[in-house]
Amino acid sequence: MSEQSATDYTQVEGTPPDQDELTSVFVGQNRIAIANTGGSYYAFDDTCTHMGCSLSDGDVDADDVTVTCPCHMGQYDMRTGEVVGGPPPAGVKTYPVQVEDGTIRIKA
Amino acid sequence: MTDRFVIVGANLAGGSAATTLREEGFDGTITLIGAEAHPPYERPPLSKEYLRGEMPVEKTFLHAGDYYEEKSIDTVFGVRASRIDTDRKVVTLEDGESVPYDKLLIATGVRNRRFPIPGLDLPGVHDLRTIDDASAIRAEIAPGKTAAVVGMGFIGAEVAASLRSRGIAIKVVEGFKVPLARVLGEDIGGVLEGLHRDHGVEMTFGDVVERFEGSERVERVVTKAGAVVECDFAVVGVGVQPNVEICEGSAIAVDNGILVDAQCRTNVEDVYAAGDVANHAHPVFGRNIRVEHWQNAIKQGPAAAKSMLGNDAAYDEIHWFWSDQYDDNIQYAGHHMTWDDLVVRGSLKERNFIAFYMNGGLIDAAVALNRGKDLRRTMPLIKARKPVDPVKLRDDDIELKSLASA
Repeated sequence: MSEQSATDYTQVEGTPPDQDELTSVFVGQNRIAIANTGGSYYAFDDTCTHMGCSLSDGDVDADDVTVTCPCHMGQYDMRTGEVVGGPPPAGVKTYPVQVEDGTIRIKA
Repeated sequence: MTDRFVIVGANLAGGSAATTLREEGFDGTITLIGAEAHPPYERPPLSKEYLRGEMPVEKTFLHAGDYYEEKSIDTVFGVRASRIDTDRKVVTLEDGESVPYDKLLIATGVRNRRFPIPGLDLPGVHDLRTIDDASAIRAEIAPGKTAAVVGMGFIGAEVAASLRSRGIAIKVVEGFKVPLARVLGEDIGGVLEGLHRDHGVEMTFGDVVERFEGSERVERVVTKAGAVVECDFAVVGVGVQPNVEICEGSAIAVDNGILVDAQCRTNVEDVYAAGDVANHAHPVFGRNIRVEHWQNAIKQGPAAAKSMLGNDAAYDEIHWFWSDQYDDNIQYAGHHMTWDDLVVRGSLKERNFIAFYMNGGLIDAAVALNRGKDLRRTMPLIKARKPVDPVKLRDDDIELKSLASA
């Protein structure tokens, strides 16, 4: 398929996070973190690659669009999933996300 | 002529300094010298994941094996550097080899204290600093075994938790009244005592080891108070001392480690220090601070490397460390020695809190149990060096973020 269509996105249960906050949702067995900062939403795997803590319990920085793990300060760029600081050995997967009228849709 | 940079200490501070030198485009020679046979590695897993057998040794390495060759970093592993001649600018190794330098970074770290306790050299009495130490303790793990843990600082507490989770019975002997009393105080230490008791750890406080006994290997610990603790092996964690002997006979100033300024420079030109051994003039706190943290090693090594390249930025990182024990996550930020007020947000009883070590209305440090986000949000408050209202700090309904701008 050359063009993205609405059907590529899966609607998930959950309430969109407030400004500079995080939440987590399930797509099947997959726990995905949703962040809201700088007027955009970001979706990425919720499990830190270091020790498996939940990134949605962590902290969002608007300036550099990062999420920081609550356990050991592993820091990821939420746009790419790349590690930008701390002990994680690998990045996390990111997903396209749409939020409209209180509904979250993820392409996962 | 090519610049020759020499790093003594092939550990996390030394290894990350070498990495930074190359990343910053330094094209001279780099010689990384270490007393251990292993390449630079991370120590946090040694008391946790590696000790429990959940992580292979390679995962602790800072870089995979051929990294140093690829980056043209000359390595001398397994040979201790013994002397520095700062006039001739030469490091002498214990095998007699001489290594000349144009700039030198000392990252010799710390070693475990060994008090002259009878029986300390008995087989089965361990301490923990290196991969080899951790492997030796790991090899003791077997069903039905009992370990005596001597000293309940961070190493003792983490070893107790890791061994307990592998089914080892743990009997602790600790000189203070609670675990981690010296660093965290009795209130917070008391919370950790409860945590370990809940996991079945037996603890004796206010007593110290008089001797280890056993015929072939350690069989029991006898305390000053006369208690006899039967055990199959013992792990001693009673503090460390900085490795400063390399400075003997040189003009390099030493006082609780190697004294360095904010840019990690010693008092001798072209000689720098970083990591556990460096007693650093911290620009935020306005006093000298020497810590033994993973984060400091991985940040101060690179800061010293940049300083060696002529960058005069001060190293002003807020110190931070973590300790995982059982399923609980402890984090600490800042630096404190004493405190005039301990302000708690959350619940000690429920083991969900952050406690602020205050002096004159300023937050010098904070410790969090299962509250990593709050700990992180406290770091700007520590760095700001401005009074913070304890009433607001205590109030869980007030965002810590909102206090940063106040």
